[in-house]
Amino acid sequence: MDRRDFLKNLGAAGGTLLLASPWLSAFADVEHTRHSKARIGVVGPGSRGRFLMSFLKNNPKAEVVALCDIYRPSIDEALKMYPQARVYTDYRQLLEDKEVDAVLIATPLDVHFPVAMAAFEAGKHVFCEKTLGITIDECYKMYHKHLDTGRVFFSGQQRLFDPRYIKVMELVHAGTFGDIEGIRAYWFRNGDWRRPVPSPELERLINWRLYKEHSKGLMTELACHQIQVGSWALRQIPNRVMGHGAITYWKDGREVDDNVSCIYVFDNGVKLTYESIISNKFYGLEEQILGHLGTVEPEKGKYYFETIEPAPGFLQMVNDIEHKLFDAIPFAGTSWAPETANENHGEFILGKRPQGDGTSQMLDAFVEAVITGKQPPRIAEEGYYASALCLLGYDAIEQERILTFPDEYKLNYLNHHNPTTA
Amino acid sequence: MKDSVITAQRKRTELITLLVCFVIANVVNLCAIIAYGTRFVELVTQLGYVVIFSVALYICWTVLRLIYYGIRSVVRK
Ligand SMILES: NC(=O)c1ccc[n+]([C@@H]2O[C@H](COP(=O)([O-])OP(=O)(O)OC[C@H]3O[C@@H](n4cnc5c(N)ncnc54)[C@H](O)[C@@H]3O)[C@@H](O)[C@H]2O)c1
Repeated sequence: MDRRDFLKNLGAAGGTLLLASPWLSAFADVEHTRHSKARIGVVGPGSRGRFLMSFLKNNPKAEVVALCDIYRPSIDEALKMYPQARVYTDYRQLLEDKEVDAVLIATPLDVHFPVAMAAFEAGKHVFCEKTLGITIDECYKMYHKHLDTGRVFFSGQQRLFDPRYIKVMELVHAGTFGDIEGIRAYWFRNGDWRRPVPSPELERLINWRLYKEHSKGLMTELACHQIQVGSWALRQIPNRVMGHGAITYWKDGREVDDNVSCIYVFDNGVKLTYESIISNKFYGLEEQILGHLGTVEPEKGKYYFETIEPAPGFLQMVNDIEHKLFDAIPFAGTSWAPETANENHGEFILGKRPQGDGTSQMLDAFVEAVITGKQPPRIAEEGYYASALCLLGYDAIEQERILTFPDEYKLNYLNHHNPTTA
Repeated sequence: MKDSVITAQRKRTELITLLVCFVIANVVNLCAIIAYGTRFVELVTQLGYVVIFSVALYICWTVLRLIYYGIRSVVRK
């Protein structure tokens, strides 16, 4: 689905879509902003940063005017896309650039906070890749800095803009799949997560994901996206989390776990279970939303109802006769039959195989918000909680304790109320 | 090789037999719909299977008749 289709669909069913995903109102002024441009500075144009730039390149309303990186090869690659961009090696210099309206932060996790805080101070709008900060405290301060400065604040939660997730949430919130009784999210890969390093002193700069001073591993890199799907579906923030993590396979000097598992508990007892292992990829990634009437697998782009249309009577009869004639005689009742899952091929949520992941739409929305200066509702809050929850899960794993969401880090959002700010 | 002649009477008998098989197959489909509580549109939507079932019935009936006439001709000799 291209941008035009996306917006067209949005117009067709705007009312219900905006209920489930109010941040889509970022596109409300698309016609008025037609002749405007958002001037963007990219801090950390590494692999993700350049991927994001490739989408900005397709948006006539966006221009990357400045780049900042401490690693020259990243700058050189980025300049191939935007040869006219001014180059900085210190983000503070980029932030002094008056031609920059907004910054896009795609550095390693530990660098997000100082850059974002300084960017807000400098009056820039901020798009910060997930996870927002390396601690909940950092995320909280970033969120409040956004409120205090009134600048636009997006985080790299592209699922919030993925048409198939938007449709799923519309259906889930309308009760199509009944009461949501559980969420099972997982991300399985089979690989060491390493990148080739040209010289040993660059190990931590390039493989920053493997070291605790720069990253919280699987929880901040992968779980951050998927836990947010759970709170989006349930329109609730889970308040308790327990978990365990270990390095079970890739014992290669890394510091972060390669095998994690967490249980997030919502107030009504519903649980979101999260699992990530990077030495087996059979199940890939998914966030299974389990309702009493049906199941959704948004990554596959499919939904399945619990009761499926029965086969035609004639075929059932033939099948039964065949079984009576040829099956071995059972010595016990049907309760002995193994309860393996039923074959149910489901239906595609958008009528076809999924395409794209919302990144392009997310960046388009950011560009619109930068031009209008209007923060779309709930986008900063969703970003905040996605980050805070994966970090809370990380803390639970590290401390091997059941943790409760700390009151002092709650926002006045959904089921959360912060007594100090309410 | 001898020319074989299919009489009008034979053709009529075979067509009637096929029709009877088709009616039986439809009755079986109707019974299945009632027994399994499925929808009556299957009387139309499952016609393909019903036709296949009628042909199968017709073939079975034909085989039975061939065996019967075969045995009868052997006995008469
Ligand atoms: N939303 C998503 O789906 C998604 C996907 C991948 C990565 N990410 C996020 O994007 C970010 C970057 O990931 P990546 O895979 O591109 O990493 P990367 O290592 O490829 O790129 C990071 C870049 O930042 C640069 N950098 C490091 N410190 C810097 C500093 N102080 N100032 C300026 N530049 C600095 C590095 O030199 C590098 O070029 C991470 O936060 C990651 O979690 C998000």
